[in-house]
Amino acid sequence: MPSFSHIALLIHEWLSSHLNSTLTLTIEMVIAGVAVISLFAVLGLVLVIMERKVSAWMQIRLGPNRVGPRGMLQSLADTLKLLVKEGLTPSGADKFLFNLAPFIAMIIAMLLMAPIAFAKDFQLWDLNIGILYVSALSSVTVISILMAGWSSNNKFSLMGAMRSGAQIVSYELSAGLSALTIIVFTGSLQVSDIIRSQANGWWIFKGHIPALIAFITFIIAVTAETNRAPFDLAEAESELTAGFHTEYSGMKFALFFLAEYVNVFIACAIAATLFLGGWMPFHVGTWHAFNHVMDYIPSSIWFFGKTFFLIFIIMWFRWTFPRLRIDQLLNLEWKYLLPITMVNLLLTTAIVILGWHF
Amino acid sequence: MGLIKYIKNVWSALRSLAIGMRRTLYYFTHHKEIITQQYPENRDTLNLPERFKGEVVMPHNEQNEHRCTGCTACELACPNGTIKVITKFDVNPDGKKKKAIDKLVYHLELCTMCNLCIEACPSDAIKMAQTFEHSVYDRSQLTKILNNPGSKIMDGVE
Amino acid sequence: MMQGSTIIFYLLAAMSLVFGLLSVTTRQIFRAAIYLLFTLIGIAGLYFWMDYQFIAAVQVVVYVGGIVVLILFSIFLTNQAGEKLPRGKTVRKIFSALAVFCAFALVISQVFEADLTETSGSPAPTVARIGKKMLDTGQGGYALPFEVISILLLAAMVGCIVIALKTKL
Repeated sequence: MPSFSHIALLIHEWLSSHLNSTLTLTIEMVIAGVAVISLFAVLGLVLVIMERKVSAWMQIRLGPNRVGPRGMLQSLADTLKLLVKEGLTPSGADKFLFNLAPFIAMIIAMLLMAPIAFAKDFQLWDLNIGILYVSALSSVTVISILMAGWSSNNKFSLMGAMRSGAQIVSYELSAGLSALTIIVFTGSLQVSDIIRSQANGWWIFKGHIPALIAFITFIIAVTAETNRAPFDLAEAESELTAGFHTEYSGMKFALFFLAEYVNVFIACAIAATLFLGGWMPFHVGTWHAFNHVMDYIPSSIWFFGKTFFLIFIIMWFRWTFPRLRIDQLLNLEWKYLLPITMVNLLLTTAIVILGWHF
Repeated sequence: MGLIKYIKNVWSALRSLAIGMRRTLYYFTHHKEIITQQYPENRDTLNLPERFKGEVVMPHNEQNEHRCTGCTACELACPNGTIKVITKFDVNPDGKKKKAIDKLVYHLELCTMCNLCIEACPSDAIKMAQTFEHSVYDRSQLTKILNNPGSKIMDGVE
Repeated sequence: MMQGSTIIFYLLAAMSLVFGLLSVTTRQIFRAAIYLLFTLIGIAGLYFWMDYQFIAAVQVVVYVGGIVVLILFSIFLTNQAGEKLPRGKTVRKIFSALAVFCAFALVISQVFEADLTETSGSPAPTVARIGKKMLDTGQGGYALPFEVISILLLAAMVGCIVIALKTKL
């Protein structure tokens, strides 16, 4: 059965039999880059139409239904529109930083793709600090937002940028601590190790209550970190028009928009890797027959299924809850999420030391 | 106890969030609840809500008679001067002069569909219609005269 | 023929140096902070190039995600941050150039004098080894400095809270 890792191996073998090693590596890097960019494009199209349909159905509406069959080509039409629109730069703006900011957001989103395991043995870079790498790079996202907000020379943008800065810096803590809960269970930061440790059950099931609490706090924290409703104070249409990307138009706006969706995808992919076993099929302890049946479903389907399920949950949050006020936002983080995750981490450590987990 | 209150707080927050999410999930899975109408396609079978208000009209019966006495209650009730009642004096067969309307001018472009004129009318002469395709090329077409030409007041309406 | 990794090294080194130079010569304070950011990212890239992945990630977390964001915030909160700074005095420029030259000469002379040997035999610095070393109380362990630093940070945090309290104690 052809799988992603199989195809990758075939390409590698074919290239190395025809070319020398440096050229092979270069071509493979180019292929990986093109693959990541096309994944971005597809993700952008799919997630935008998914968001619009989910939001419509949750609000008892129909959603886009004019372009293509059942409106499924709507996001393609939107992309086309954004591509041909003029990209304006306000005259009072710091032009260099204004034009740089969306690309920074995009580059960081691309770099974050590196340690994600999309299928069995199919990963761009299995570095031994996988999860730390993700949390380190996602903290750089805030720079692009601050840059955009500042260089737009607009008070709404500046306000939005400052809010999102405060928000991302604070929620990074509880996202990191929740991820650390699973790392304490596995004892490794490497993505492949984390997934392999879930071969006899996903952590959310075999990690007792701490894993469940960590899962909930992680989902809340990454929702805040990706600036999505109910934590979308940085964009807050009703207060700040559009926050840090008020002044952006055309393709530069599209890059910010795409980066937001790709960040949601990455956050959900990381959550799926940590708590739901990444590409690992649903296994239960020693039920070998059952596990064997589950293995027939390809690993990439497991991975994308879990990730899109989590994306759906985050969209569900967005279309159910009203936006928080800034003080409520900071209260939630510092008075609730952070103490809970810290106590939870202690509990996890105790469980691991006493050997109570499976 | 502070700690018990804290835990209760967290628990009730999670519970109330779950209630909200259950509602949206219900709508997400029950597409029958969708209230959007596919307007240009279903123009013939359009189903407007009972309380939808489109414009003020004055109903006439078959003898081209209306119920308006020209009392100007609607004009006084209107908050933004949408209605202007122009009255005249009719001469009865028995020689008595009687006040009646000449024209009831209605400015649709000023109307906010607040329904106050309908409430104010003592003789139920005007009502809200459910039309909504009001767009025209010239705004003077939005100034309408509600009583039909040559119409007169119904018998027995004082 | 230069090897790929050597080219990458020189690119990263040039990136850190050029942006470092730009960050001290620019007259817009916000741009200076952004150039500093690129310098720090270049240094993180060098750590990655050396395969010191943990150090690289910590460099990004602490300097890029922490310190530069803090600097940007303090720029946001100060007045007239968007305006260009006045040009420095010529005397001051000359003396700072002199100071830079002296420091550069000192570093370069030390580098050429030092007896640099390759440390190819040492094992890779994995997270587990770093963690063990950090809490090792025996020979060559860092338990004491680690604890001292954590107490220092705790004291700093308590101090911050005391300053931030609305009502004075």
